[in-house]
Amino acid sequence: MDLRFTEAQEILRKMARDFLATECPKTLVRELEKSEEGYSLELWKKMAELGWMGLVIPEKYEGMGYTFQDLTVLLEETGRNILPGPLIPTVISTFPILKAGTEEQKEDLLPKIARGEVIITTALLEAEGTFNASGIAAKATPKGNDFIINGTKLFAEMAHVANYIICVTRTNDTTPPEEGITIFLVDSKTTGIRCEVIPSIAADKLCEVRFENVTVPKKNILGKIDKGWPIVEMMLRKGAIAKCAESIGAIQTCVEMTVAYSKERVQYDRPIGAFQALQHIMADMWTSMQTSRYLVYKAAWMESEGQPCAKEASLAKAYVNEVYKNVGKWAVRLHGAIATSYDHDIPLYYRRSKAADIAFGGTDFHRELVAQEIGLI
Amino acid sequence: MDFELTEEEKAHRKEFFEVCKELEGKRPASFVGFEATYEIDECWEYHLYCAKEFAKRGWLALGWPSEYGGTGTMMDQVLFAEARGYHRIPGFDIFGVQMLAPTLLQAASDSIKKKFLSPIARGEVMWCELWSEPNAGSDLATLTATAIKKGDEYIINGQKTWNTGAHRSDWGFGIFKTDPAARKHHNLTFILLDMKTPGITVRPIPYMDGGAPFCEVYFDDAHVPAENIVGQENEGWAVVNLLAGFERSGMVEIMAMFHELEELVKYCNETKRNGQLLSRDPIIRNRVAQLACELEAARAIAYRIADLQNRNEMALMDASAAKIFYSELGERFAFFATDIAGPYGQVKTSRWAPVHGAWEKAFQECFVTTISMGANEIQRNIIAWYGLGLPRMK
Ligand SMILES: Cc1cc2nc3c(=O)[nH]c(=O)nc-3n(C[C@H](O)[C@H](O)[C@H](O)COP(=O)(O)OP(=O)(O)OC[C@H]3O[C@@H](n4cnc5c(N)ncnc54)[C@H](O)[C@@H]3O)c2cc1C
Repeated sequence: MDLRFTEAQEILRKMARDFLATECPKTLVRELEKSEEGYSLELWKKMAELGWMGLVIPEKYEGMGYTFQDLTVLLEETGRNILPGPLIPTVISTFPILKAGTEEQKEDLLPKIARGEVIITTALLEAEGTFNASGIAAKATPKGNDFIINGTKLFAEMAHVANYIICVTRTNDTTPPEEGITIFLVDSKTTGIRCEVIPSIAADKLCEVRFENVTVPKKNILGKIDKGWPIVEMMLRKGAIAKCAESIGAIQTCVEMTVAYSKERVQYDRPIGAFQALQHIMADMWTSMQTSRYLVYKAAWMESEGQPCAKEASLAKAYVNEVYKNVGKWAVRLHGAIATSYDHDIPLYYRRSKAADIAFGGTDFHRELVAQEIGLI
Repeated sequence: MDFELTEEEKAHRKEFFEVCKELEGKRPASFVGFEATYEIDECWEYHLYCAKEFAKRGWLALGWPSEYGGTGTMMDQVLFAEARGYHRIPGFDIFGVQMLAPTLLQAASDSIKKKFLSPIARGEVMWCELWSEPNAGSDLATLTATAIKKGDEYIINGQKTWNTGAHRSDWGFGIFKTDPAARKHHNLTFILLDMKTPGITVRPIPYMDGGAPFCEVYFDDAHVPAENIVGQENEGWAVVNLLAGFERSGMVEIMAMFHELEELVKYCNETKRNGQLLSRDPIIRNRVAQLACELEAARAIAYRIADLQNRNEMALMDASAAKIFYSELGERFAFFATDIAGPYGQVKTSRWAPVHGAWEKAFQECFVTTISMGANEIQRNIIAWYGLGLPRMK
C-alpha cells in the first residue's frame, strides 16, 4: 500500500494546475457559461496538445496510454480550477468505443479524439429522468442494413457541439428492461437530429436531442444488439468515479478559499476565522473533504486495476454528491453576501455541486445500488 | 497510488482474521460492546485469555524494534486492528499496548523500556490512564494532583477520575504536578505506578447503563519510586501529547461497525413490519446505504492514516478528522439501528433484544468515542488551529 501519487501523477497534476491557472481563468469560465458553445476551441486545441482527450487511449491509436487512475488525477485538477467544455463527455464516451468498438471504429475515431478533432457525448437520459434501463424508450427499428432511431434524449452534455453522439436505444421491449438495449454511434450531422440547449444551473450545455427517423447503419452498433446495457453500466461507473474526482478538486477549492477569506475578513475587531463557531464549521468542511478523498481514490484505483467496483463507485458517488453540495453551501454562508454575487468565484462551484450530484446518477440512485450491493433483498 | 497489500500482508491479515474468528467462538454472551471488558468479570477473564493468545504469537509487539521482542510491521498493526474490530475481540490493552508502549519506545530511558515493555508484550500487565480530574478535563494541564519528590520517591496526593479499567488494571500511567510553582505545561511529570501501591483507593463509577467501566482514583500519600518516570521531570506534558497521538485511529471501531452493518442488513432482510420486510422499504434501504457509504469513507481515511504512519509521517489533521468522523458515525449508527428496531430498540440484552442488545448498548456507549480521547470539539479546534492555521482562541 502506498497512497501517494506517483511521480508521473505529480507531474501531471502540476502541469494541469499551472496550465489551467493561466489558460482558464474564471473570467473565461463566466464567458463560456454565457456563450452558445460552452467551450473554447482554442483551449480545446491546447488541451489536445497536452494529450488530455487521449489520456486513456492506447498509444497505438495516438493516445497517451495512461491509466484510469491517471485520468482521475487530471480531473481533480480540472475540478479544482473549473474547466467548462466537453472533456468529461468525450473521455467517458471513449470507453464504449475502447471496449466494444470494432477495429475499424477504433482506427477511425480514437486518433481523432486524441487529436481533439472530434467531440463525443452520450445521450442516455429521457423524459423520465432515471438512470435505470427502464427509462430508455427511444426506439431503434431495423430496416435493411440500417436502424431507424426515433425518440427524445435529454441532458446530453455538449451534444450541440458534438461530432458523434452515443445513443442508447431500446431495440426490444418484450424482455426485461436491461436486456433490450442497443448502443449506436451516431454522426451528429445525420438528418433528423435536432439539438437544443436546456438552461441549467451550471450552464454546462445539457441538451435535448431529438431523433426523428434517423437512419444509422448497422455497423455503427457498439457491442451487440440488445446487449448494450452492461456498456452503459460501465460508462456510468467510470463516469461516477470521474465526476467524484472532479468534485474532490472543487471541494478543495471551496475549503481553501473559505479558510483564506476567514483570515482576512474582519468583523467585531477580529478576523471572522477567530470565531469558534466558524472554525468548527471549517474543520467539518475539511473532514468531509478528506473522508471523501480516500473513498474516491480507492474506487479509482480499483477501476484502474480492473477490479469489480460497482459498489465502491456507488459508495463514493452517493457520499461525495452530498459532501460537495454541503461544502459549497457552507462556503457561501461563511463568505456572507459577497459570495452570493454572480461575479464571485464561490457560486461557480456551488452551482456546479448540483450539476455534479446529478451527473452519472444522483445520491438516491447510487444509494439504491449500494443497498443491493450490501445484500438488502 | 496503490491500495494493494503485499502477499505477505495478505497472509498476515488472513491469519489475524482466522485467529480472531476462533476466539469469537469462545466469547462470553455477556460481551456486548467493548466496555464490557472492564464491566463484567467473565469478560475481563476473556480479555486476559485473548491477550495471552495474542502474546504467544507476538501480536502485542507488532512493529516494535526487534530488540524489545518486536515482530511484524506497522501495517500489521492496522490489519490486526481490522480483525479484532470485525470479530469484536478484546485482549489488546489499548492503554498498555496501543498507547503506552509506542510512547515508551520513543520517549523513555533504556531502563524503563527494559522493565516495562516485555510484560506488555507478554500480555501479563494491564494498564490504565490516570489523567483526568474533576476540574481538569479538556484543559488537562490545569490538573492539581501533586507528586512531590522526597528522596528517591514521589509522594502523590489528589484525585483522578473517569479512569477506564482502573479497578482491574495492574499499573497506571499518570500525569501529576511536580512543581506547583512552575508555569503551566512545565510543571508536570509523567509517572508510572503500581495500582497496588498503599495510599491508592479505586472506586468504580457507574456508567449510565449501570455497568462500571471507569473509576475515581484517590491518592493519599502514595509513595512511588522516582525512577518510574517517562521523559524529564516537569516535562511530562510533552509525553502526554506524544501518547495522545497513539490513541485509536478508529480502525477497531470502524470494523466493528462493518460487522454491525452486516447484522443490520440481516435484521432488515428477516424482519417484517406492516406486512412487508424492512428491507423492502425504500426509506430504510436508502438510510442503510447511507451508513454503508459513511462507513467506507471512515475506513478509507483510516487507511490514509495508516499509510502516513507507515512512512513515519505526521497524521495530525487526518487523525482528528478520522476521530470526529467515526465517532459521530457511531452515534448515527446507534440512533438509526435503534430506530429501525421500533419498540425493540430499547431492549437490553435478553431474549427480546435484536442482535443481543448491541444497539441499545451502542445508544449509550457511543459517548466513549465522542467524549474521551480528546472530545470532538477539541479535535475540531486542532484541525482549525494547527491544520488550517486559523487564529487560536486565547
Ligand atoms: C467513557 C469515558 C472513558 C474515559 N476514560 C478515561 C481514562 O481512562 N483516563 C482518563 O484520564 N480520562 C478518561 N476519560 C475522561 C476524558 O478524557 C474527558 O472526559 C475528556 O477529556 C473531556 O473532559 P470533560 O469530560 O471534563 O469535559 P470538559 O472538558 O468539561 O468539556 C465539556 C464540553 O465542553 C467542550 N469544550 C471544552 N473545552 C473546549 C474548547 N476549548 N472549545 C470548544 N469546546 C470545548 C467539550 O468538548 C465538551 O463538549 C474518559 C471519559 C469517558 C467519557
